[in-house]
Amino acid sequence: MKDLKIAGRYYWHYLKPYGWGFLFTAILIGISTACVVIAPTYLGRAISELTEYLKLWSNPATRGGANLADFHGTLIAYVLFYFGDASSLLIASWLLAKITAYSTGTMRIGLFRKMQRMRVQYFDQHSDGDILARYTSDLDNIFNALNQALIDVFLAIAQLIGILIMMFNQNVTLAWITMATTPVALGLAAFVMHKAAAAVDQQQTDVGALNGYINEQVTGQKVIITNGLQKDSVAGFQVHNQTVRKTAERGQIWSGILSPLLSGLSLLNTAIVIFAGSWLALNGQMSTGAALALVVVFVNYAQQYYQPIITLTSLYGMIQLAITGARRIDEVRSQPDEVRPVNGKAINGIKSELKIDDVRFSYLPGKEILHGVTIDVQKGEMVALVGPTGSGKTTVMNLLNRFYDVDSGQITIDGVDLRDLDLTQLRQTVGIVLQDPQLFTGTIADNIRFGEPTAGMDRVIDAAKQANIHDFIISLPDGYDTKVSDEQNIFSAGQKQLMSIARTILTDPRLLILDEATSNVDTVTEAKIQKAMDNVIQGRTSFVIAHRLKTILNADRIVVLQHGRIIEQGSHQELLDEHGFYAKLYRNQMVFD
Amino acid sequence: MKVLIPYLKRYWVNATVATVAVLVLVFATLWQPRLLQTVMEAIMANDKSTVWQDGLWLIALAVIGIIAGIINTVYSAKLALGVATDLRADLYQHVQKFAYADIETFSASNLVVRMTNDIQQVQGVVMATFQQVTRIPFLFLGGLILALITMPQQWWVILIMLVIIVAVAIVAFKQLSRLFGRTQQLIENVNTVARENLMGIRVVKSFVQEDNQIATFAKPSDELRDVTTRIGEVFAVLMPAFFLTANIAIAVAVYLVGQEATLHPTYIAAISSFTSYLSQILFAVINGSFMMTFATRAFISLKRINEVLDHAPSMTFAEGPEREVAGNITFDHVTFTYPGDDKPTLQDVSFTIAAGDMLGIVGATGSGKTTLAQLIPRLFDPDSGRVLIGGVDVRDLPEKTIRDAVAFVLQRSTLFSGTIADNLKQVQPEATSATMRRAAEIAQAAEFIERLPEAYNAPVEERSANFSGGQKQRLAITRGVIANPEILILDDATSALDAESEKLVQEALDRDLKHTTTVVIAEKISSIIRADQILVMDEGRVVGAGTHRELVANNTIYQEIYQTQKAKEGRLPA
Repeated sequence: MKDLKIAGRYYWHYLKPYGWGFLFTAILIGISTACVVIAPTYLGRAISELTEYLKLWSNPATRGGANLADFHGTLIAYVLFYFGDASSLLIASWLLAKITAYSTGTMRIGLFRKMQRMRVQYFDQHSDGDILARYTSDLDNIFNALNQALIDVFLAIAQLIGILIMMFNQNVTLAWITMATTPVALGLAAFVMHKAAAAVDQQQTDVGALNGYINEQVTGQKVIITNGLQKDSVAGFQVHNQTVRKTAERGQIWSGILSPLLSGLSLLNTAIVIFAGSWLALNGQMSTGAALALVVVFVNYAQQYYQPIITLTSLYGMIQLAITGARRIDEVRSQPDEVRPVNGKAINGIKSELKIDDVRFSYLPGKEILHGVTIDVQKGEMVALVGPTGSGKTTVMNLLNRFYDVDSGQITIDGVDLRDLDLTQLRQTVGIVLQDPQLFTGTIADNIRFGEPTAGMDRVIDAAKQANIHDFIISLPDGYDTKVSDEQNIFSAGQKQLMSIARTILTDPRLLILDEATSNVDTVTEAKIQKAMDNVIQGRTSFVIAHRLKTILNADRIVVLQHGRIIEQGSHQELLDEHGFYAKLYRNQMVFD
Repeated sequence: MKVLIPYLKRYWVNATVATVAVLVLVFATLWQPRLLQTVMEAIMANDKSTVWQDGLWLIALAVIGIIAGIINTVYSAKLALGVATDLRADLYQHVQKFAYADIETFSASNLVVRMTNDIQQVQGVVMATFQQVTRIPFLFLGGLILALITMPQQWWVILIMLVIIVAVAIVAFKQLSRLFGRTQQLIENVNTVARENLMGIRVVKSFVQEDNQIATFAKPSDELRDVTTRIGEVFAVLMPAFFLTANIAIAVAVYLVGQEATLHPTYIAAISSFTSYLSQILFAVINGSFMMTFATRAFISLKRINEVLDHAPSMTFAEGPEREVAGNITFDHVTFTYPGDDKPTLQDVSFTIAAGDMLGIVGATGSGKTTLAQLIPRLFDPDSGRVLIGGVDVRDLPEKTIRDAVAFVLQRSTLFSGTIADNLKQVQPEATSATMRRAAEIAQAAEFIERLPEAYNAPVEERSANFSGGQKQRLAITRGVIANPEILILDDATSALDAESEKLVQEALDRDLKHTTTVVIAEKISSIIRADQILVMDEGRVVGAGTHRELVANNTIYQEIYQTQKAKEGRLPA
């Protein structure tokens, strides 16, 4: 029920602008339904006119007066009604198709826009797959429901109303009789749907487990081959496969029998109407002719009466998915945005110093990661952060760029708290090179000028040269126009890292944060990256989050973090002389003759 | 399509029952109007007993319809699931026969899609075929024949209607399938941008590119909106056009009946049944074309499944009894090219390592280190030259012998979900807790395993996600050593271990697995510094071989690598 309310709010928000469109559609569907209901009566009239004509014609006395003019007129009216039906239905479907496409388009962009405004925290706490599913399955389900269900729901309701009006107009008793089985049908449908929902749930769970197993095993196929585990793998698979067979069979059966069940009930209902109608015809006060006409008409209605019910129940699953989808997207929509200071102070580079002052920070309440860290950095200095995994090195980067805000203490640039600075300007001042260099679909040039899409080719080339990647790029057949795509890994991790360095160089940030790549790079490439990093650090204030000590030997200061506290601080030589944690780490990583 | 036949044959009983049920259903559907007609006639004639009798028949028909419908659903489901389950099992077993090269040909993720989504598609279409599709031709033919019997003179009205409808359907569905293809492409583009922005959210934010990325996203998203509008427009025209055509055909038929009313007065009474037969034909055509689009997707899936089933495993192993082999390895002028590559990855590689020795392999990324190691347990066969273990060409050894003799630990060789013990017992079924413990101690894993509440029975999550990088590698090494292999290959398998633990692992290997030949591939010189022999690889060739001291003295490439890792000149820490 709560889902329904949230979904209602969500759809209201996105469909509100199309209110007139919906009204117009409803009117058109009303017209179309009216045409469909009325048109057959003209066919009936045409037949009786034809019979009349035949009667006149068969009698030699009246043959002269027999003509088909009325019959032709009625037939034309019949066709015109269907024209009315077809054209109003056409415009209505066209309107709804446009509304669906445009509203889901707005939803899609709205979701993306929201994503760009949200706090980084959300992305850190949710898996990529889960968020991406909002784009793939949830928006897809919403689109399908709007696209197919909307018009069908409209039509079914109009049809139901039309039939009810016509039935009660004709004969109230028979109308009630026609409707009498509805509660039974609805009860039965609810029962089957309930069973089907449970069975399909179980089916989805088991299919999920099977697919998970296949995914894990086949993705690890090389491990299976090298260990000769094929037989075990098949045995494990068979268990899942047979389970799915059983539960999916149940799911398919329960969800499959609803439609034949309801069609059969419709037929049964028709038979009941015939009994009741013929009883009225034979025992009632009506003339046989009138009674017969009534039975014929009601048989027709009885057959049509169930159609909207069948349609609505068959759409139930689709609508359910659309409600869940809306709920899931709304959950993203209701996330808080990044906090941007109102009238944030302007910042123009770093004039004298950056100060991290007694900063405490936790990602999750109660689990503090940094316990009072203080680091002073003078303009132009290079500071290296060293420490084991989980010591809080990367957290410092998250704070400097305001991906997260401190719990207590403060970070200042030239004495101004980061939280008082204009966020856009702050991020333009701070450049980062990440451990995992995410590139974007497009050309190499596009990627290098990612931070400044209007930058000219000369600046792109200049940045690439400084990053030691120019020679490699021009050795490619397409040079700077070579396509970068996520799927095909044509570039090695090292080459990507160098491109990401070029990307940062181009924006010329005053404060640099380099998160060093750890693995997948051989030490020769690493040396190349090191050189590029040295180029980029030149003349800038910088933080280097180091995993391999080789890269930071020249730092002005090395800060050793452990469990969120600074345990050692000083130059390379000073720290070696301390014989502490750093010295031990250094001994471990380096080769000595 | 041919792929399915043996499976359908296996479930012929289900298929037959489902089809018979459909026939009963079609019969009930077509019979009902006739019965109605007799009831009407009986009412007109005031014939109560016939009304009762035929009314009861009508109810019986409805009940038969329900029963036939349920039976049809049940047996279609049994059939579809039977076919899908067996097909999936055969596919899975076939993939388990694949060699390394075959997995690379298809790619693992691709194979997963074929076993999951594609099978699902096939299951759906089998189910739909026996529920719906079999009904369509019967309804179509039944409607057509009955319409022709009712008004034989008007065959050409029916024909023209059919031609128009089928022509419209062909044109529309051709356009639709093009638009659907484009939609698929655009959805992929939209998802790519979304995924990249998800993974690179920090990059986007730190470069303040939110607005530009929204513009990038809007491009495929807007086009997607426009293409879906086009699809909607086609459908908006299609359905009303069908109905209008059918109703015009009816009007024309009635008009013609009128013109000839004086010649064939009985036709007037047949108008209403003629009308219902025409709409039956129309529905059959509409449903048929929908089924066609649905089936096209399933045919593509079936083709993809067949591709896998038709792909013969690229490697077969020697038959024969299992045998013991010693741990000495020889490469004799080995050259190897990956399928599809034009340049060999290994060129004329020769070396020998004695049983129980340690071989180190170093070189830049892409120099062929891993490829070389993969030839030892015969994951690939060389183009020319020979690989021998225990003095025997690996091509002459049964698969089980090779797998038992060689343990290969990959850089990312995670354990499978289950418990730690499950994973170890997969490799060494007789493993006792003492054996597991001994292996874990060698891999320096015992300490952290035994600190877990359930120790060796601790659960392993998918992708071993509940263990850190270093722990994963130690667990993988534990699995590698538990069966006392003659040859142990560590392919960058200690990269996440610190130097201290790595040294302990190597010392333990020296001490406890004296007769095991160890092959270590590493980025870090410190990992292989103690090796009896080190191979230096460069662009697929062995450009140097010897001990660390020898190579430092006379191999330039080794020196270059070493330089990048050597401690800084100056005072050494104590």
